[in-house]
Amino acid sequence: MINANEVHDAGFKVPRTIQELRTYLQAALEVEHLTIPVYMTGMYTIRPGTNSTAYYTIRSVLLEEMLHMTMAANLLNAVGGEPEVAHPEFIGKYPAQLPMSSTALAPIGLRHFSREALNTFLAIEKPRAFHTDEKDGAGWTSIGQFYDTVGQGIRALVEEQGEHEVFTGSRGKQVGPGDFYNSGGEVFHVTGLDTALTALEMISEQGEGVHDSIWDSDDQLFGEERQLAHYFRFNEIAEGRCYSPNDAPQRPPSGPMLDVTWEDTYPIKGDSTVAEYGKYQHGRAVHRKAVAFNETYATLLSCLETAFRGAPQTMAMAVPIMLELRDLAQQLYRNPHPNPAHAKDGYFASATFEISTSQMEQAKQRVADHVAAVGLEAGQPVDLSRDTVGSNG
Amino acid sequence: MIETTTGAEAARGSYDAVVVGAGWAGSLIAEKLGRRGWRVLVLEAGEAGTQTWSGYLDSVRTFHSAVAKVPNSAYRHNAAAPSPDVLDLSPDASGSGEGRPEYTADGYFVQKGKMPYGTDYVRALGGAGMHWLGAVPRMHPDDFTTRSTYGYGRDWPIDAADLEPYYEEAEKELGVAGDAEGQRHLGVVSDSGYLYPMHRIPPSHIDKYCHEKLEGREVTDPMGDKRELHVRSLPQARNSTPAPEYDKRKGYRPKGAVGLPNYGERCVGNASCVPICPVQAKSTPLRVQDGFSDSVTLAARSVATRVLRGQDRRVRAVEYRSYNDPASPTSESHTVRADIVVLAAHAIENARLLLASELATTSGQVGRNLMDHPTTLAWALAADQVGPYRGPGHTSGVEDFRFGGKRRERAPFRIELSNWGWTWSTGAPMSNVASALALGGKSDGGVKTGGVFGPQLRSLLGSTIGRQLQLQIAVEQSADENNRVTIDPRRYRDAMGNPRPIIHYDLGEHVREGVYAAYEVSERIFTELGATSYTDHEPVDGVPPLGHFVHRGTDLTYHGAGHGAGTHIMGTDPNDSVVDADQRTHDHPNLYAVGCGSMPSVGTSNPTLTMCALALRSAERIHRDLAALSQPTNLRSRANAEEKV
Repeated sequence: MINANEVHDAGFKVPRTIQELRTYLQAALEVEHLTIPVYMTGMYTIRPGTNSTAYYTIRSVLLEEMLHMTMAANLLNAVGGEPEVAHPEFIGKYPAQLPMSSTALAPIGLRHFSREALNTFLAIEKPRAFHTDEKDGAGWTSIGQFYDTVGQGIRALVEEQGEHEVFTGSRGKQVGPGDFYNSGGEVFHVTGLDTALTALEMISEQGEGVHDSIWDSDDQLFGEERQLAHYFRFNEIAEGRCYSPNDAPQRPPSGPMLDVTWEDTYPIKGDSTVAEYGKYQHGRAVHRKAVAFNETYATLLSCLETAFRGAPQTMAMAVPIMLELRDLAQQLYRNPHPNPAHAKDGYFASATFEISTSQMEQAKQRVADHVAAVGLEAGQPVDLSRDTVGSNG
Repeated sequence: MIETTTGAEAARGSYDAVVVGAGWAGSLIAEKLGRRGWRVLVLEAGEAGTQTWSGYLDSVRTFHSAVAKVPNSAYRHNAAAPSPDVLDLSPDASGSGEGRPEYTADGYFVQKGKMPYGTDYVRALGGAGMHWLGAVPRMHPDDFTTRSTYGYGRDWPIDAADLEPYYEEAEKELGVAGDAEGQRHLGVVSDSGYLYPMHRIPPSHIDKYCHEKLEGREVTDPMGDKRELHVRSLPQARNSTPAPEYDKRKGYRPKGAVGLPNYGERCVGNASCVPICPVQAKSTPLRVQDGFSDSVTLAARSVATRVLRGQDRRVRAVEYRSYNDPASPTSESHTVRADIVVLAAHAIENARLLLASELATTSGQVGRNLMDHPTTLAWALAADQVGPYRGPGHTSGVEDFRFGGKRRERAPFRIELSNWGWTWSTGAPMSNVASALALGGKSDGGVKTGGVFGPQLRSLLGSTIGRQLQLQIAVEQSADENNRVTIDPRRYRDAMGNPRPIIHYDLGEHVREGVYAAYEVSERIFTELGATSYTDHEPVDGVPPLGHFVHRGTDLTYHGAGHGAGTHIMGTDPNDSVVDADQRTHDHPNLYAVGCGSMPSVGTSNPTLTMCALALRSAERIHRDLAALSQPTNLRSRANAEEKV
């Protein structure tokens, strides 16, 4: 992570200057992203064709984290910042301490679909109201509190300097609904105080729910079907039971049973590294796939950075890259862990989400080549075929 | 969320309108009426289930595990409400040369025609709108007047201009991605400012390859019709990027999957549109049903058996049977009254119901004029890799032989550029694998040898499969009274006891000329493409392929397109048509028969969009009818009037 740990270490504080606000929003981008490899691992380790409810639940949250990340980038762009994504440090080192949260929280690791993984997910999405042990002024307690301070900071800055002085970013950099899709809520342009506060509200409430309820605010903000907030979606799986519409957030779900088969999973070692895979002669193929996964992930990040830095239409290129990640994951996770001792214990290979500086540089070049080949233009029909034709002959 | 109920439960309610069939036409009408507050019952003969995500995934899995990936392969057999299936037909050598049909038919249809009717549909929630491809070209203005302009077929009582606003509305309801400019060039979209809700689906590599080699080239058909070729994008009911300028810059929000929030909002090229899009980026009637108001009741497993007559010429009720177990035909009968009855159960099912109910008999046309788009296939190997098996089934076509004066002599045709290689013609790519492995036996009973394995197999498959081109050429079939659906309840019933459709089908001379011209044109197109044609319609070991016929000394075949139409066609004269321009039966003022069955001609356009436009138009008329029926009768004023006399 680039800024998030720094903001965390500086302690609870409302951002007072535009520069601080930008630092906070870059940290927000990182925090939102931090959850993505965690949820991806949970999803990819479900054996294909099993646990379909859990699979689609994790997937739906994962997509909304991508939305949050994009909205954080829109916020940062709106206040004249420059999102940094294609950076080897952008991905956290797992297990990672969740920034801007209570230090009592256990580190967040990459875990296969399991009760322990769900506990991690629940810890990430835990509503503020549940943090009863934390008193105000005790420092960072939760992501929700962090977004509150961002909101306070924006309000104060607007009051002090006026909206025009705060929202100085170019509109052309905003990712809009035409560029981003398949997600709960909706991406929208952040152009001033109102849209900025709506964005913050959406990010918080999709995670932890509208105050004192199990529901998010997509129905109110976007006229969409009412959905459970992330914490409660995950809790359904953890408890093996659905919520009833009138369940209170503090109570366990009281609805019908939900079928979860914890054994239908590929157990993994979350701290595996490609270097470790490379040590074993028989692990060559796994090593190759794991490296390919990381390189593709790097390509995804640099694609996103391009999209967040003035060419939002580049979002379209992220879609086939994500499908490629899915396919690589399916090829990777079904192999026994190359380390014979782990394999003997029933562990499988997994994606390690490690990206070196040189891999990131290559990814940036790759994306630049793709962008040049495809020639996407804002508002025009998306057609990526020039790219595939160009590269495959 | 779509809620369904049982037939028994639905029978307890009272309704303003009863709609038979929950496909596109029935769903659109029910949705429109429901939004205006009318109490509507929709009776679906088949199973529901796909309205939930787990039910939909079950259908995806059923398709994945099916041996033959035919359009109905995502649905299980239903004994209570059987569906026709393309696998019901087999070629039969015994009759060839003796003038007997060259095919046999099993299954739901009783086929008695000279030629096989190869079109299927599925009786399930959403109907054939679940397994369709999603191709939604509009009809051309000329297609509505083939009799008066070209001297064949039948004219419509309305024209393209009457339908235009409803076409636009249907394109919004279905969610169409398309290139309006290209369609304006064809003359099928006339509004100069019109945009489709979403940008066109990107052209495939095959589209571009063909465009490069064909654009502007001239090809002459055997009748001397010289045409300049153009490769044009196909409008599709499939999610792509919304057009921000659509609808006076209001834009369009793609409707995603039903039963799973925020899913399927873009096509990602899964390439199994027929029979089932695994992400629901392809539009289905479920999307319309998802918008049903509370005044609409949707009952599945409810097979309409008759429409019952009331006083005067009106109908009063629908009789239907509900069942609990699709493996068993056991059922119970119910009757539900309604002010207006709308049959929206598919052309063949509508005809079957009208015939079983002995309604709309004046013209003697019920069941007659059965149509389809007889589709001939042409396949070739390109000189280069063209990248088949990616994206929707087809994304571009050559439209140039759809129009023009030669229609007098031969039926016009629309050429689809297949993105799915030789799937339809030869069962590729699995057939390529089987022959490369030398699977199967020899005709003398011996075991085949010479199969290849490993890298050799891969390179052999790569070099052939990657070069597969296929043209699917849909030929217009005009109304012919002798192509018809009948019933014979004493001899042919399904397991539940309902009459099975008996089909008499043949291709007229005009259509055969069209198929022949299409074949010749396909050969010339392959020449222009520098491709080697492998098209072969000749009998193999004395067995003629399905849909085989010989025309002008050339062996030809056709397939069903799944475009069942005709059977209750519209017109102005109650003596030679079944419904009027609003799809209301001439004989019964409160009985509508809607769907492709009402179409007097089908042109060369896949008919769903036109059917939906007609349904939306009828919905307005039905609303007016219901409003008129619910006007209070003022008895006192009439009494006063009589006193004065």
